[in-house]
Amino acid sequence: MTTRIPIEDGYFTVPDAPGELPRLLGSRCPACGEHFFPRRLVCARCLAEGCEDVVLGPRGALWTWTYVHVPLFAKKDGSVGAYGVGQVDLPEGPRVQAILVGGPDDFHIGMEMELDLEPLRTDEEGNEVVIFRFRPVDGEGPA
Amino acid sequence: MRIDGVAVAGSGVVRFGLYRERRPAELARDAGLAALHDAGMTLADVDEAFVGYIQPGALLGVKALKELGLTGLPVTRVENASATGLVALREAAWAVASGRARVAMAIAFDKMTEMAGGGRRSGSRGTGRDELDATILPAAYFALWAQRRMHDHGTKPETFAAIAAKNWNHGARCPWSHRHADHVVTAEEVLASQMVAEPLTAMMACPADDGAACVIVAAEDLVRARQPGRRLVRPVASALRSETYSPGHTFLGPVVGPATMTRDTAQAAYEDAGFGPEDVDLALCHDAFANEELEYYELLGFCPEGDGERLVADGETALGGSIPFNTDGGLIARGHPGGPTGLAMVHEVVQQLRGEAGARQVEGARRALAHLVGGGSVCTVNLFEGVP
Repeated sequence: MTTRIPIEDGYFTVPDAPGELPRLLGSRCPACGEHFFPRRLVCARCLAEGCEDVVLGPRGALWTWTYVHVPLFAKKDGSVGAYGVGQVDLPEGPRVQAILVGGPDDFHIGMEMELDLEPLRTDEEGNEVVIFRFRPVDGEGPA
Repeated sequence: MRIDGVAVAGSGVVRFGLYRERRPAELARDAGLAALHDAGMTLADVDEAFVGYIQPGALLGVKALKELGLTGLPVTRVENASATGLVALREAAWAVASGRARVAMAIAFDKMTEMAGGGRRSGSRGTGRDELDATILPAAYFALWAQRRMHDHGTKPETFAAIAAKNWNHGARCPWSHRHADHVVTAEEVLASQMVAEPLTAMMACPADDGAACVIVAAEDLVRARQPGRRLVRPVASALRSETYSPGHTFLGPVVGPATMTRDTAQAAYEDAGFGPEDVDLALCHDAFANEELEYYELLGFCPEGDGERLVADGETALGGSIPFNTDGGLIARGHPGGPTGLAMVHEVVQQLRGEAGARQVEGARRALAHLVGGGSVCTVNLFEGVP
């Protein structure tokens, strides 16, 4: 079986079990309790040092979204497909911006989203390089 | 803190557009010469220079300045993404206000048309969309703001289109505007142009540009002595802020940044200047996308939150209205090369406050505001006043 590896270490988990949702790797401030994504050392709220590692997600509410019809607007490369982009509010607090899985009619503000992994390419060692996305959870349809 | 005793000595701009055959240093030279001619100076009169550019490359600014002469003057690079030009002016104004320089130059150049569109690390699809912290197009993240606006306030895309059409039509009256439409642009035409990122269409967006611009500031007594009879334009306040943390902050990826950043920066600038939005006669703002301008009406204090649509519907922000915005066409029409953008704004402010803006003249303009955000992470608000 192909091994999946993250496009960059330290941002999200890649579960071994198929069907298990990935989680985001974040931080929690031990002094004020604020959560952050991605990980950081110094709390952005109270400036305490020594934020602790936590895992965040995998679900949240879509705060805003758009659908990009012309990905390389003004850059004249027609080979790239259209895609959705959104910001998802995690229950722990952070708002995470990411590409969305779905078509232009699949999203509405406030809908529940979940993390997903998308394969990007296969590297020289035969590993599948993946990145995180958000997709509407089952049963969430357009407004 | 108010900037005291500083006035604009001269300004100049190289019309923004596509300059495939011209080196950035040549564009800078021509903008610098235009400003020096306007000031009646040569580089020998300039004590210090601040050079802005966004494009990559070490020491490009110092090298560009050599095109104007080698006088030994101190040269410092300034880079704050799209806010670069105004921040260069801020540094020049304070160099004079501090007494360290009698004459200081803010100059900027860029060739945005040659800057890469992302995909730097992964190269997987060439868009950068497959990277954690890379290029989601500006159109996309400004569209995220527009969508949220429509959700919260019921704003219609027609309002964004009306703002864009206004700026296209302002640009037609400005000799150095990139875009000169040969007809009156309508909101319907803007709405019908290519959809880029919902709800933003191509005509709601600024073009990619090359260009250069330069503003020279000097001690007020020096400008008075050299330019008798000319109206004086003073930079009186320049606030610059980065983001303040609030819950829900988005750290990863290119973003618009917190809306409160513009509100807080404007408040700081008004406090420094000792006057408020009710005293401002015209404003220039970061309208890379038309929905931004609507937000800034409110965040800069020209109307209460949620009231921006009324200003558009009543034509208050068009030439002839009570608070004309982006009289030179703004980023949407005049253009947006990056670094030079803010100094082109100041060039327009200078024409307006001197009463020399021709077909764009705001009657009796005495005070002006110039606003830019940069990379979603900085904001600068600058206030100017013109006196006889």
